[in-house]
Parts: sequence; C-alpha cells; structure tokens
Amino acid sequence: VCHQTVSLAARHLEENGIPTVIMGCAKDIVEYVGVPRFLFSDFPLGNPAGKPHNPESQALTLELALRVLETAPAPRTTVQSPLRWSADPEWKLDFSNIARLSLEEIARRRAEFDRQKEIAKTIREKPQAAE
Amino acid sequence: VKEAVMSDREEEGFGFAPEHDAPIPYMTRIREYYQTLGYGAPYRWAHYAEVPFAPLKKPLAESRIGLITTAAPFQPDKGDQGPGAAYNGGAKFYRVYSGETDRDHDLRISHIGYDRTHTTAEDSNTWFPLPALRRLAEQGCIGEVAPHFHGAPTDRSHRATLHRDCPELLKRVREDGVDAVVLVAV
Repeated sequence: VCHQTVSLAARHLEENGIPTVIMGCAKDIVEYVGVPRFLFSDFPLGNPAGKPHNPESQALTLELALRVLETAPAPRTTVQSPLRWSADPEWKLDFSNIARLSLEEIARRRAEFDRQKEIAKTIREKPQAAE
Repeated sequence: VKEAVMSDREEEGFGFAPEHDAPIPYMTRIREYYQTLGYGAPYRWAHYAEVPFAPLKKPLAESRIGLITTAAPFQPDKGDQGPGAAYNGGAKFYRVYSGETDRDHDLRISHIGYDRTHTTAEDSNTWFPLPALRRLAEQGCIGEVAPHFHGAPTDRSHRATLHRDCPELLKRVREDGVDAVVLVAV
C-alpha cells in the first residue's frame, strides 16, 4: 500500500505541474498505478534509498533518482538500479510466499493479522491520538 | 520430456539468470497470501491507463527539491518500532505531517510491511535519504533542499489517499516553493 500511496501522490503533483521521481522496491505496484518517473531498486522492501550501512550505495541510488528526474523522456519511465542486493537471488522467493509457509504458520499469521486490524481500528476512531 | 532436457542442456553457457531472479510479483504474492489467510475479496489496486508528466523547468542545479516519505516519526509511547520490530499497526499515522529539513529526524518503518526476513531497518538512510539530499545540495548537484519534508499516510482507502492526503501534500509542497519532488516508498 506504501508504494500505491506514493504513486498516487506523484500523479497528483504531476497533474498540478510539479515534476516527481519515485524511489521504490515494488516494481509491479508502481507501474500498475502508472507514474511519470521511477527509480526501481531490486532490493527487499524497506530499502528504496540504498543498502543498509552502505553510504556509497545510498549516494548512488539518490543520484540515479535525480538523473531520472532530469532526463526521463516520457511518462512511465522506469530505470532499474544496477545494484544487486546479493549475488544469490534466493531472498526473492520468501516475501509473502504462501507456498513456503506451514499450516501452523498460516494459522498464527491469521491471528496476528486480526489483532493488528483491531489496533488500527481503535486508533482510527480517535484520529487526534494519531497526530 | 526429452525435448525439455535437451533445451536445459542447450541453455548451459548462455549465462541466463535463474528464472526467479526477477522483480518480485508483489500483487500476485499478496493476493494469494490473503486469500489463503481467509480474507474475502482481493484488494483492488489503484490503476490508471493515462499518466501525467510535468517536465522539469530548470536544471537540477538550480532546482529546489522536496522530499515525501511514508516513514513515521518515532513515538516512544507506541510500542516497539525497531530496528527489527514486528509489524506495529499502532505506530501508523493518519494525517500528513511535516518536518524541517535543516535537522535530523528519527523516522521508523515498523508500521509498514517491509521485508522483515531479509532486512532489519537498522539504517534509516535506506528509506529516508534526507542527509544524502543535503549533501547533494552542498555539492551543488541540486539547487537546494526544500525547507520541509512531508509524511504521507499509507492508507488502504483510496478515498483517503486521493481526497484527503494528496491535496494536502500538494498544498504543502507548494508552500515550500518546490521545483520538483522525490517520493520514497518504503
């Protein structure tokens, strides 16, 4: 939902004349919404601005995003960062992959999801508490 | 079967990456995940055929650049917010917030479904590049950093995002007089 939020915000700014670039790690969601400029890092969600404890990768990622902002020839310009998270792509098989979970783990997650929705509902009903 | 074996052998030496070494299909994964957990209708993602495009009006080196994030300010009374915290719905925020860019901020991502198996949210520079943006301004790569950054709530409701949060973000970046905006999705 995070990538969707940012994509909708980018579109709204652009419709009102403000150029944007998105930095993110969920390529399918951003492109499905449809945005003008996107620097995609093929990293685990949570690292749109570079690798942890790696200032060079962070500087390169932001510089690339600004290059995309400056040079994109048309909307739906996606550039994929050349950086690799790891030589082994195995991490890509884990995220929300139901095929990799046991029945016990599915039951545990279902209970946890219900609990979090209840917490969020409580906060939403008194919005001043969230500000 | 014989043909499949043949083509596998023929592929040797081409240097192809493994089939799963491609961007993760999040929409498919998430749909299958929640269907298995027993949640009814799949989520309808925002989707447009037309995409707006506003050209940059000045060179970057003369432009004032804004920053929008989905990270949340650390709130000591809202439970574990990391690094490495479990998903914490209590740390979510539901209104656009802003902060001054001439100082550092403690922003966290425990309210977001990031990849908790393969990353631990220890280094905020991986999701909030304000220090890096300030360095680019010092180096003259961009004209300047806008006076404020802005926090965008990650609401599942399209109505809330489109009618409440997007207009508010536009209003705030206009007040900052930005020439362009970098948006970072955690």
